[in-house]
Amino acid sequence: MTATDIPHTRKRGVWDRIGYEERSALVFLAPVMAVLMAVAVFPILYSFYISLFRIKLTRPNRQPFIWFENYTDLLGDHEFWMSVGRTVTFTVTSVAAIAVISLLIALLLNEQFRGRRFLSTILLIPWAIPYVANALMWKWIYDSGYGALNGVLYQLDFIDKYMVWLGDQDKTLMLIANAFVWKEVPLATILLLVTLKSIPDDLYAAARVDGATVWQRFVHVTLPAMRPGFMLVMIYETMMAIRHFDLFFVLTEGGPGSASHVLSWHIYVETFRNLSFGSGAAMSYVLALATFGLSYFFIRTLGRRM
Amino acid sequence: MSRFAKTHLGRRDFLRTSAAAGALTLATPGLLRAQSADIHMQTWSAAVDTVQSHLAAFTAKTGLTVDYGNSPYAQYRDAMVTKFVGGAPLDMMWVSDAWLPEWAEAGWIAPIDENETLMAYNAEADDFCTNSMTYGGRQYGLTYYSDYMAFFYDAEKVAAAGFDGPPTTWAEVVEQSLAMKEKGISEHPMMLAMAQESWLIEFISALVFSHGGRFTDEAGASVMTSSPGVQEALQWVVDAVNTHKIISPACVETGELNGLKAFSSGNHAFAMIAKYRLRTLNDPAQSSIAGNVKQAMMPMGPNGSHATVGWMRFHGMSAAAAADATRAANTAKLIEWFGGKADGAYTFQKLLFLDIGAGFGTKPLFQDPDIRAAYDSYGDVDMIQAQQALAQKKDVVTPWFGEWNETNGSAWQSAIIGNTDAAAAVKASSDLWTELKDAY
Repeated sequence: MTATDIPHTRKRGVWDRIGYEERSALVFLAPVMAVLMAVAVFPILYSFYISLFRIKLTRPNRQPFIWFENYTDLLGDHEFWMSVGRTVTFTVTSVAAIAVISLLIALLLNEQFRGRRFLSTILLIPWAIPYVANALMWKWIYDSGYGALNGVLYQLDFIDKYMVWLGDQDKTLMLIANAFVWKEVPLATILLLVTLKSIPDDLYAAARVDGATVWQRFVHVTLPAMRPGFMLVMIYETMMAIRHFDLFFVLTEGGPGSASHVLSWHIYVETFRNLSFGSGAAMSYVLALATFGLSYFFIRTLGRRM
Repeated sequence: MSRFAKTHLGRRDFLRTSAAAGALTLATPGLLRAQSADIHMQTWSAAVDTVQSHLAAFTAKTGLTVDYGNSPYAQYRDAMVTKFVGGAPLDMMWVSDAWLPEWAEAGWIAPIDENETLMAYNAEADDFCTNSMTYGGRQYGLTYYSDYMAFFYDAEKVAAAGFDGPPTTWAEVVEQSLAMKEKGISEHPMMLAMAQESWLIEFISALVFSHGGRFTDEAGASVMTSSPGVQEALQWVVDAVNTHKIISPACVETGELNGLKAFSSGNHAFAMIAKYRLRTLNDPAQSSIAGNVKQAMMPMGPNGSHATVGWMRFHGMSAAAAADATRAANTAKLIEWFGGKADGAYTFQKLLFLDIGAGFGTKPLFQDPDIRAAYDSYGDVDMIQAQQALAQKKDVVTPWFGEWNETNGSAWQSAIIGNTDAAAAVKASSDLWTELKDAY
């Protein structure tokens, strides 16, 4: 074979088979793909990889490969399951409250009345506040010594002496849930309001012709038509609540005792205080899978008949 | 050619610009390295101006340049661990005694005890300071600042309650507090900050040591359940909160800073706070009880003493710096400049004291006229020195301290809020200690 024969015998590769435009697209997308691989795909895969090791940063020379031991250890970890229980309580309470409150506000804002635009605007304020600022604000409100909550209740004669709020283990989780709900309601309201606006007026007109009352129109027209909006709210808020960390970090650091020691806090302590990256990564995967499972559940149930 | 065409980015221009940007990106680390300083120093964000001016003097004196970085104390340990693991350039850094075993075991910091010039400063340092910088028989640095947990009282309230002097035992704290409650002087006369934060172990240790307790023996094994002082100390807090009601049940959500504010606003008569806060407490601009705050010796438990806990922050050398003779020599000079004498005097420790009131572990400074004058304006320097002499190093500082500390804090809080009793809380803490010690 001579050198001049080569062009005639060379097979066409993938690069030659795609057109100029596709090649250009690949070239221009390559940097973005590389960045995504570096900052998203690689960390996800790498975190799973390190979850198979007993990695403790302070013992850099002793990091054995232990297969799935970090995962199986979780089954017998009492503190882990206690934190799962608190996470479930926090999530169910928060998401239920967000769904109900945002539905009521969305129904209100769907009506025409004087001051509606103003109300819609101030509704967005909690949403616009950064999470940590929100947490610091609630820390100030709940403070048992100089907090605004005690001040207001005392001024209104609801209490005769300042109460302990975050330091009371029976109240802590619900108070944090309250701060979370306050922050999340605006977005949920907007999502539900958009859904409400999309319900055709014809449906209500037909229901009126059939003699449906206001309550019947709400139950048989509004609620079923809001299913997509509810699904979105439930999935998003559940994910946010399960993974929520900021309020626990700023308000209580898991205390008092372990009253607010939820799963996200447990993962933080394990990973960044105990510096056990292997078991921390395993817990994070469990949390991610739980979030994925719940999202799938909501899509399967609320998404049905859509 | 139209003006539009001149400004239009052509394919060749795009490729040229991209190539130039790529080349610059690749070259940047090299450029930065070329401008690298002789010494890399990392601290937490305290007294930044004082550090910078002292560094400028160091560079002027030695000709060595220093790359100085700092990060907030709350994130400092995480930031440093990340730097160590990531191989960031580090020569000298501030180290807390709480992290010493962890960092030493990991091989991130190196002992300095083969440097005779640095070791000569031990002769003028308090013993607990030197002990706090020592792990496994090796010394890892020179003092940056040291302090201890102090017991303060509002002299006006004590007098108003009909007492001649401050309490000397924890039983007397209860007695005086109950009298104050009865007379309406204060609802919760004793301020104790027991929130889950880095200060908590200092408060707990001071209570335990003053009750005559120890967490561990000389071999590092837990003696929490056999040393009566530990459970007695926790039981005293539990009773003070739930039975006598002289400490607010909100103590479990009160951090050190909020506790300081509450005490300085006149809500309480007694407080356990770091000694260096005395200046703030007697500053009329920052405290409504300024002039009334006095220091007393730490009250004693039934089988205890006036002992308290002391802590150390020191200037350490990275293992990477120690491995290179030139870097090690430069870093040792910087450590001496900050932790020892600069131009023949303990300049930095003195500046730090005069600037932010930070304590020092260097005994000759107690005789410095400027320091005595400053102390005399808000405290009793002899009392301060006498209490410092009884300060003890935390006996729980080990490579597993961080993990244990988290659970121990929760256990104490659980007992205070009535979730469990003092004995069970101490046992849980002790069991975890043994488990972690065995695992290491």
